[in-house]
Amino acid sequence: MSTILVNPADERALPKAIPAPRLQSIEGACIALLDIGKAGGSDFLDRLRTLLHQKYGVLEVLRYRKPTFAKPIPESVLADIRQVQPHAVIEALAD
Amino acid sequence: MLGRGERAPDLEGLIPDGPLLLSFVKTDCPACHLALRCLDDLGAQFGDPARVVVLSQDDRERTAAMSEGLRLQLPARLDAGWAASAAFGFEVVPALFLIDGEGLVAGSCQGFDKADLNRLAANLSDLLGRPRVARLKTGDGTPDFQPGCVSRHVEPESDAEPAPLPGLYDLRSRRASRVEVPQGVEVEEFCYQQGFADPLPVVPPTVERVDAAIAASGLEPAEVVAHVPPNYAPATVEKIAANAVMAGCLPSYMRVLVPAIRALCDERLDIHGVQGTTHFAAPLAIVNGPVRREMGFACGSNVFSNAARPNSAIGRAIQLVLRNLGGAFPGNIDMSTMGNPGRFSYVIGESEERSPWGPLASDFGVAAGRSAVTFFCAEPPRAVSEHKARRGETLLRAFCPVLANVWSHRACGRSEALVVVGPEHAATLQRSGFSKRDVVQFLYENTGIPVSEYDGDGGEGTHEASSYEECVIRRVRCYRKFARPESIRVMVAGGPAGKFSVVLGSWAIGPGGSQMVCHEFA
Repeated sequence: MSTILVNPADERALPKAIPAPRLQSIEGACIALLDIGKAGGSDFLDRLRTLLHQKYGVLEVLRYRKPTFAKPIPESVLADIRQVQPHAVIEALAD
Repeated sequence: MLGRGERAPDLEGLIPDGPLLLSFVKTDCPACHLALRCLDDLGAQFGDPARVVVLSQDDRERTAAMSEGLRLQLPARLDAGWAASAAFGFEVVPALFLIDGEGLVAGSCQGFDKADLNRLAANLSDLLGRPRVARLKTGDGTPDFQPGCVSRHVEPESDAEPAPLPGLYDLRSRRASRVEVPQGVEVEEFCYQQGFADPLPVVPPTVERVDAAIAASGLEPAEVVAHVPPNYAPATVEKIAANAVMAGCLPSYMRVLVPAIRALCDERLDIHGVQGTTHFAAPLAIVNGPVRREMGFACGSNVFSNAARPNSAIGRAIQLVLRNLGGAFPGNIDMSTMGNPGRFSYVIGESEERSPWGPLASDFGVAAGRSAVTFFCAEPPRAVSEHKARRGETLLRAFCPVLANVWSHRACGRSEALVVVGPEHAATLQRSGFSKRDVVQFLYENTGIPVSEYDGDGGEGTHEASSYEECVIRRVRCYRKFARPESIRVMVAGGPAGKFSVVLGSWAIGPGGSQMVCHEFA
């Protein structure tokens, strides 16, 4: 006789995230940088901003910041980013 | 958006005559779900569902699915074509409007905010000439405030499939499926292969064992106790029972495990962040009250070890729930750099009988004689050893350098600590006349980092030094380690012999991080 178990795991079919289409070029683009609030994140993004401008010809770099790294991004910050519709968003995730 | 004193539009009988509270919601908005649970209670308290009217911006099928998940008693009407939404002119849901008996707007709010809901409910009571209904309280496990979502009628048009219902506040969910173990496969090995287990063997969650645990809980198997971050899978009674069985729990342990899972997912604890952190933190559960003796929790010798079945098995069940339902598998979402032995099991009981002070739970307002579970997202234990001190002050000086190192040595004002005082140390403090408040105050005033250590080398905590509070500790200029005395909590546990205690540091603290939570249970 076979053993029947109660499934202890998450059984939901989680939607698969599909990567956004890749930009062919970022020259002249508007790029948003999201700082999640970790120590050193602003230093890293400062340098990245310089490189994006100088090396890749990015026209505009916008900066956003989560109020705390410890919690998900608030809808209000997401809404701010959506409103300007940048060509791409780079998230400085964790340390 | 219609303001106070403006006339509510005539929408051909869609909205009944006031006074009433009108709420616009959409089905994939978590803040709407939070509001609906509160509005449903409100409708029940008024005893007249027509006083609280819900208008859904989605179709009948999705609205029915949402109502079923939230077990709403209130009927939801449909705002077909969003004509009513456009007429009321808001941009965020949930959008609430208080309509008086003359059909005029008497108040409104957008998003979920307990203060706003309390105000509107009180005003509705006044308009109806009835006693005011019970207020929503801070600390009931749901957030005080949650921003809403963009209203359906002002969303950009899209051909995309509608988002799945989030169901973050559903009270019922689907039953667990049954899994047949193939013939010839060892059951314990099968559980491991399926990814159900931690690396140690588990007790197979057979239907009979799980049913026994469900029966002991006295709850329905499909009842949702909590949603476990960061994947937010519903922790039904049945799913908790299956994980409890695997961890080695007796059916009777559901008495503690169910409220523990509820407390674990209390949004104030922010287990969402702890599940994915690179830090050492793991949720430590502290059990208080008569349940300790009734179930045999270890509170004395080896309190942090594998000394008693309830501590070990319930702690392991908590960790299995965090993996199997929260999705935090090591190396996947759980990215802790060094980990924490508490990730196997981290449950202690307080030795209330050997404490000269009130139990930890009493600090959170739990009455004497009641059982409670408190969670603190803690680093591994740091040892305090002091065998010579005969006076309380001398003894506590041994705690201060250990406290000074929690989180990071020179980072001040951004950590908390739980001090677990061993019974011999507690007796010394009692003989010196220290109350719990005295202990906390001494530790707060005497824990600091010498200013001389901030010599411009750029290490962690040094950049913010200008914002630290300066003090003098034993003639040395220091920065105070803790922001306030309340950053330090004190309890008593451990064996009767041995002059040892423990300090546990925190993870990120405050409303932007993790706050200790305490849940009482029967």
